[in-house]
Amino acid sequence: MSDVAATRARFPRVVGNVERYGGGPGRALDAFGRMVLFTVSCVGAIGLALRRYRAETLQLVAQIGMGTGALAVVGGTAAIVAFVTLSGASLVAIQGFASLGNIGVGVFTGFFAALVNVRIAAPVVTGIALAATVGAGATAELGAMRISEEIDALEVMGVRSIAFLASTRIVAAVIVILPLYGLAMVMAFLSPQLVTTVLYGQSSGTYSHYFRTFLRPDDVFWSFVEAVVIAGIVMITHCYYGYTAAGGPVGVGVAVGRSMRFSLAAVVVVAMLASLALYGVDPNFNLTV
Amino acid sequence: MTTSTGLGSYVGGQLRGPLEHVGGFARMCSLTGKALFRWPLESRELVVQCWFLLRVTILPTMTAAIPLTVLLTFTLNVLLAEFGAADISGAGAALGAVTQLGPLTTVLVVAGTGSTAICAELGARTIREEIDALEVMGVDPIRRLVVPRVLAATFVATLLNGLVIIVGLVGSFVFTVYFQHVSGGAFLSTLTLVTGLPEVVIATVKAVSFGLIAGLVGCYRGLTASGGPKGLGTAVNETVVLCVIALFAVNVILTTIGVRFGSGR
Repeated sequence: MSDVAATRARFPRVVGNVERYGGGPGRALDAFGRMVLFTVSCVGAIGLALRRYRAETLQLVAQIGMGTGALAVVGGTAAIVAFVTLSGASLVAIQGFASLGNIGVGVFTGFFAALVNVRIAAPVVTGIALAATVGAGATAELGAMRISEEIDALEVMGVRSIAFLASTRIVAAVIVILPLYGLAMVMAFLSPQLVTTVLYGQSSGTYSHYFRTFLRPDDVFWSFVEAVVIAGIVMITHCYYGYTAAGGPVGVGVAVGRSMRFSLAAVVVVAMLASLALYGVDPNFNLTV
Repeated sequence: MTTSTGLGSYVGGQLRGPLEHVGGFARMCSLTGKALFRWPLESRELVVQCWFLLRVTILPTMTAAIPLTVLLTFTLNVLLAEFGAADISGAGAALGAVTQLGPLTTVLVVAGTGSTAICAELGARTIREEIDALEVMGVDPIRRLVVPRVLAATFVATLLNGLVIIVGLVGSFVFTVYFQHVSGGAFLSTLTLVTGLPEVVIATVKAVSFGLIAGLVGCYRGLTASGGPKGLGTAVNETVVLCVIALFAVNVILTTIGVRFGSGR
């Protein structure tokens, strides 16, 4: 024991560096374990939240759909998601029209829009927009509650804080994502059509023929499932970072940044895994010209 | 007369908040532009901020770029194989990586991590009244804090764009050649078929403007944060939202302009 203390005192910088870099994997594993524990406990408390905190859940559904504070000024979550998917989908159409035109198959823009928007663009873009609006908002709110010790007060009053704060938000996000993603889908269908037919002057019959032929109901269904999974993961992540915020006002800001970083990667990874699992073996469309 | 005055004051009251923000943002932008040309530059702070931003963004960039590359390459290759043109998968991968993947991932990372980090740091200083203290001491916070951060965000976004494009090209090569069994020679020889200097220049221009906007928005919301922990959290949240909206809009506009100058036609 005294040897350890002596080594520490003799080589403080070396010991510090070893702890800083050598302990990295251990700390990462520790943080990951805490996140898994939080996930398990808040998903497990969903039943309790639905039984006991139904009013809170309903209120959160309204709050998440409409947005709070300055977000409500620009039209709330719905408007933001709609705008972002609108621009994301028109990006697909602009680039698709130009690139497909290069290899002489510009008429396939409708097909390209139906395929790429449903399978990739809409879930990823909606996930990012959801993380930025609802998710980061939840982190800010829970983090502020943690810093001002309101969460401890809830526990003292006998309220199960994880169920009351995290589980209700997860349920609310999963409920809200269904109409929101419907809106996002409509935007993702409308904007490439407008861009291709109005801006680039392709005949609308050609566009809708290829669009309708290759828009498969199965794809749309799986896209919805993907969006729901993404919403759940985003909400769990953001609730975790908010719930475990520490270190005064600065800590809340840092927690919001960290949670965005994590959910950014999570959304993309979910989309990739879903795409590989669903279309990896069989691409599920037959192009016969 | 009274009704119109009542209506006018109501509309004015409703618009006051947003308009104040728009005006404040415009004022900060012009002040930053002015301070940009007042030498000497805070070069030390600039280097520190570049290092800080790179440290914050480089890991998320990699973790977001690799799955997106796989996703894009996978879908494009399935498509090209269906056209019977799996040989030109290199062209598709290069086009996707340079024109879309690079700028898009840069948007997400710069908006989601760069601007939040800037806003959280500056917001914390604002709440602790350090900014007021700086002003009392006669130090211009715009010149001392904002200009280096905006320049650093611009510089780092440009570097990240290059990183994402390289990750995209290497990742799609690995995925296409080793997982989807396209010949490596065909991939490499078609790499520059529809992607040339114009695409790279446009991608760089996009990244520069994203970094500039993200830096300005992050600094503005950080300097105007108020109201304790909750206020800072809200400020960071609004930064992300505003950045995502602004950057997507700018991306659409620049892409529309960019495809006009594209090579390969």
